[in-house]
Amino acid sequence: MPTPLKELESLLYRLITAPSGVGEGLASERNLPRTGLGAIVLGDERLSAEERADIYANMYFYRLLDALKEDFPATRKVLGDDAFHNLVTGYLIEYPPTQPSVAECGRFLSRYLRDHPQSVDAPYLADIAALERATVEVFQGPDADALSAEAMRAIPADQWPALKLRLHPCVQVLDVEWRVADLLRAVEEGRDWQPAARGAAKIVVSRRSGRVRYRELEQSEYRAIDAARTGATFANICDLVAEHSGALDPVAELNRLLARWLSDAIFIV
Amino acid sequence: MKRADFPFLGFGVGLRRPHYSHIVERRPKVDWFEVVSENFMVAGGRAIEVLEDVRAHYPIVLHGVSMSLGSTDPLNRDYLKKLRDLAKRFDPAWISDHLCWTGVGGRNLHDLLPLPYTEEALSHVVTRIRRVQDTLERPMLIENVSSYLAFADSTMTEWEFIAEIAEQADCGILLDINNIFVSAFNHRFDPNEYLDAIPVERVVQYHLAGHSDHGTHLLDTHDHPVRDEVWALYERAIRRFGAVSALVEWDDNIPEFAVLMETADRARQIYDAAARTPTEQSLDANSTERTGKPALPADHRA
Ligand SMILES: [Fe+2]
Repeated sequence: MPTPLKELESLLYRLITAPSGVGEGLASERNLPRTGLGAIVLGDERLSAEERADIYANMYFYRLLDALKEDFPATRKVLGDDAFHNLVTGYLIEYPPTQPSVAECGRFLSRYLRDHPQSVDAPYLADIAALERATVEVFQGPDADALSAEAMRAIPADQWPALKLRLHPCVQVLDVEWRVADLLRAVEEGRDWQPAARGAAKIVVSRRSGRVRYRELEQSEYRAIDAARTGATFANICDLVAEHSGALDPVAELNRLLARWLSDAIFIV
Repeated sequence: MKRADFPFLGFGVGLRRPHYSHIVERRPKVDWFEVVSENFMVAGGRAIEVLEDVRAHYPIVLHGVSMSLGSTDPLNRDYLKKLRDLAKRFDPAWISDHLCWTGVGGRNLHDLLPLPYTEEALSHVVTRIRRVQDTLERPMLIENVSSYLAFADSTMTEWEFIAEIAEQADCGILLDINNIFVSAFNHRFDPNEYLDAIPVERVVQYHLAGHSDHGTHLLDTHDHPVRDEVWALYERAIRRFGAVSALVEWDDNIPEFAVLMETADRARQIYDAAARTPTEQSLDANSTERTGKPALPADHRA
């Protein structure tokens, strides 16, 4: 009797993803025929059945390791290659890929790092991974025409107070406990990096002309963006900026912030 | 489905991220591009922008890696819907994926795993290809994969398996010449026998790629130039199948775009030379035409 296809695929899946290799995976298989994997997979004098399955096991791990290396360069820099390799081994056991796109495989790395022993020495790891993941998501996030200076000038003055600025659909605002933006920038620019300092911050991640940018938000800016997200009018935003910036000249302050929002493509109209 | 239902695109290359700027800025003289469908199943951003630009200037084909036709999991409806939407938006000359499974139990291995060549697997895959073709409202192509293991349960050869599936599902075949070569070495079969068993009218596209030699086995790594033995097999395929669009795949250690273009040009030169010098094989009963020449379109560089 041939092995039913579903059983065959499930067995191979378990062997290929076994964390310590096909050999150990085989040891925990109870329903294999007495002749072992050789009854199912053909071996020859060049490669045994187990060695052939091992080729797939290696490709599985290294393909995902490579994908995660590419998406999490700073997390890897902080950990070093060996610790990153071990991290990925554990991560794939807890969060095996389920999506058709390999770009989704890092979706839960930050969550996995929150309670990971590596985070005892470098408690900012989960935040740096969250920022790196956000840059991946924003890079491929939805398109929309960002608010431009020309578009703003074209709006009649009497319509400004009731105007609603809407957040660009690809923008993300991260809530972090460590100042990780500088660390990521240092790694991206190939400079020496310093461990992130403790300090709550909001980081905005946006995209302009196809390029992802990120920076910490000032308090008044964060209030304004948060308010815009829930439908605040331009008049509400002016009030928030005046209240939270502590600036002597709220109009000048608002103009300064508007210029940054335009250049970071934070809003659409 | 027959080959004449599809255009002859000529000699193309895979669209890969390191070449995006070069292609958009320089518009190199390439016949067509193949794009990996999953890379463009995103909401927006640079990839979509580049694909829109590329599509405005070149024919494209959508080539997927995650349809998982051989999996015993249900077909991923959401994935198929995204693929259909992508096809509606970018109007590819055709859509292809692999004759393999990529995961089971809701998990994805992100690899192309071989099937046992059994009646069960055959009817399973045929049913699924028919469903996919209904959903996509067009015929698709299935590609032979490189494999490193074979199953004791198989009751037919790989070439019998793929030929029978294509006939029963009424789909086309994307013949990966390098994959035939790699699997022939790994499983000790004659690649010529494989070619000779594939129904001529089903073959719509070739893949050409490089592999790496690990002594005990060859790995389909797409990180080397196409080897001479694979070029020779390609030439033999041309004599049997005639005018089939060819595509150069390079996914790792990706060289400058010029190297891909040279490889596509070499594919064209071999094709042109084969078209000029008919051989015994092109006269045999399995050939496209019995005129002594492969069937060439009037202007295959259009
Ligand atoms: Fe291929």
